[in-house]
Amino acid sequence: MSEVMTMEAPTAPAAVAAAPVLEARGLSKRYGSTEAVTGLDLRVGPSEIYCLLGPNGAGKTTTIHLFLGFLEPTAGSVRVMGLDVAAEPLESKRRLAYVPEQVMLYRNLSGLENLEYFAALGGTGSLAPERLTDILVGAGLPPDAVGQRVSEYSKGMRQKVGIAIAIAKEAGALLLDEPTSGLDPKASNEFSELLERLRDRGVAVLMATHDLFRAKETGTRVGIMRHGRLVNEMSTDEIGHADLERIYLEHMHE
Amino acid sequence: MIKHIARKEFTDVVRDGRFRWCAALVGALLLVSLGHGWVQARQAQEELAAAQATARDHWESQGEKNPHSAAHYGIYAFKPRLALSFVDEGVDPYTGTSVWLEAHRQNDFLMRPAQDATAAQRVGALTAAQVLQNLVPLLVILLTFGALAGEREQGTLRQLLATGIGRRELAVGKALGVAGALALLLVPAAVVGAAALVVGSTGPAASPLARGTVLAGVYLAYFGAFVGLGLAVSAWARSARTALVVLLGVWVVNGLVAPRAAVDLSKWIHPTPSAVEFAHTLEQEMAAGVDDIQRPDRAAFGERLLAEYGVERAEDLPVNEVGLYLQESEEFGNRIFDRNYGALWDTFERQGVVHEALAVAAPLLAVRTLSMGLAGTDVEQHRHFATAAEAYRRDMMRQMNLDLAENSRTGELYTAGPELWAEVPPLQYDAPTLGWVLGNRVLSLLVLGLWLAGAGLLAARRVQRAEVA
Repeated sequence: MSEVMTMEAPTAPAAVAAAPVLEARGLSKRYGSTEAVTGLDLRVGPSEIYCLLGPNGAGKTTTIHLFLGFLEPTAGSVRVMGLDVAAEPLESKRRLAYVPEQVMLYRNLSGLENLEYFAALGGTGSLAPERLTDILVGAGLPPDAVGQRVSEYSKGMRQKVGIAIAIAKEAGALLLDEPTSGLDPKASNEFSELLERLRDRGVAVLMATHDLFRAKETGTRVGIMRHGRLVNEMSTDEIGHADLERIYLEHMHE
Repeated sequence: MIKHIARKEFTDVVRDGRFRWCAALVGALLLVSLGHGWVQARQAQEELAAAQATARDHWESQGEKNPHSAAHYGIYAFKPRLALSFVDEGVDPYTGTSVWLEAHRQNDFLMRPAQDATAAQRVGALTAAQVLQNLVPLLVILLTFGALAGEREQGTLRQLLATGIGRRELAVGKALGVAGALALLLVPAAVVGAAALVVGSTGPAASPLARGTVLAGVYLAYFGAFVGLGLAVSAWARSARTALVVLLGVWVVNGLVAPRAAVDLSKWIHPTPSAVEFAHTLEQEMAAGVDDIQRPDRAAFGERLLAEYGVERAEDLPVNEVGLYLQESEEFGNRIFDRNYGALWDTFERQGVVHEALAVAAPLLAVRTLSMGLAGTDVEQHRHFATAAEAYRRDMMRQMNLDLAENSRTGELYTAGPELWAEVPPLQYDAPTLGWVLGNRVLSLLVLGLWLAGAGLLAARRVQRAEVA
């Protein structure tokens, strides 16, 4: 199966074909002579968790930054819920939530104040402190840490606030860049459950990760990137853990 | 959106211990310098009033004497301190605030505090204007250098921009947040300053509150320009450290290099004679005359007078020839003074224009000029008073000479008494209006406005282009 899938064109589910939430068409990004992303075609539909796998420098983070409009594509286009990111950068970002690999917060503010701030900027409006606290605790932050200043937080706690920020935004699409980095296994599991709940609500998730196991467990589709190209794409229903690992390693040794 | 950003910036800054320490220090210095300046100004005004009363008393009680002797006895005139001079003492410590008015001479001003200052006082003197012009911008730099560069380094900028906020909103929100933090420092100082103006103003009525309001506006524009500049550099710099180094460089050029360079450059373009040269030229011209300004010939003047009145001898004249000749000599001297002092003042004015124009390189130059102008302590208002004092001196000399000429005959011994001395009115000096001050300072206002607008536009442009990571 893997040999067949390796270079096959991605097979998108019907829902994606109809109305992708996240879509890249012929997307390329070049830095001087270095091709960070080359000719990427990608579509993520509602209720889909798309996991981008690949080694460091494969182009995963660049792809996410292109969706966020932080980078300007050298060629091709990026759309969020039908909006061209280049033409409508602010409006498209308002439809997205984003959790980076290392969530960085304002050290002089508490977790609750950080969430309140980002939620307000994200267009959620002013949420009641009780609701914000529920979101933080729901994201895995210990209740007694909610009011503490972030300067006292561990990396894992900051990551949970970042996830809470994404949840509070109630966006239709979620971009995750190594979101479980720094989380302990229990928190990682809780995060996977959270993603599944979001998926069930119709949220489209694009997640860059090194974690093959979690990609297989949580993802609905997996794409493998190497040297800026999407070299394989498959549905997680079609493969087992061992298959995914084998296919991934095959690509890395090409 | 802007409100949320501004509120967060404010909270973040206020909770930062470094800001609290710096703000407390600058705030304390500002309040102390305001208080010290006010006490000094009030003390000086009281001393001035006492000295003025003493001088008048001496004048009126000088006893019976020839009016020309009284003209030589002279009287002191004192430049009143305007209410806002406690904020900015300007050039007063160097130019002096009192002048001795006597016959035949336009004297230099006396009572220059800078002459009496000890070395420690010269180095350590700190006025509210210096705190506002140098230390508050330093605080603004500390508040803004990390505004964008710091967020980029910490990684919060990409999360912030991923929320969908516009960069213009971000720039405005950050500027307002910094302004809010600065307000914690400036509002109490402004309240203290306003209270000092209302409660303790002993100077002449020269629209102190209107002047104070404009002065506040000038300083706000100056700080606004620094906020814009700080945000622009922070958005441009790759790191917060680079932003800090660049902004400190700007601060050094603005506060230390530009003022010195502006003085030297304006003096180089429009040189002025040294005090010794000036006095020497004045002495020479008074002795020998110059061009068409020649000392009246005593004999020719006497003959012209005899012919005018149709008499043979000076003793037969209905007026005292000496009094009229003294007045003629006085007018000769006045023309020499007008020629030399006029040229000197005009050169100072041209130097001032160069100084104001150089403010395009450093906003401090514009602010300093406006601050001294509104406080009534700049060179132009010194000239305004000097001109009024000189006009008063000339009227007084004319009154003395004409009294001698009209109430005595040539060769007669004549003395006047307290009635004549009392007829000489005290100097009534009206300080320039706010409109006069601003009219003289259009260039500085324009340059400061350009700094504010330019820094704002630059900040908007740089924040728009700021890299996220």
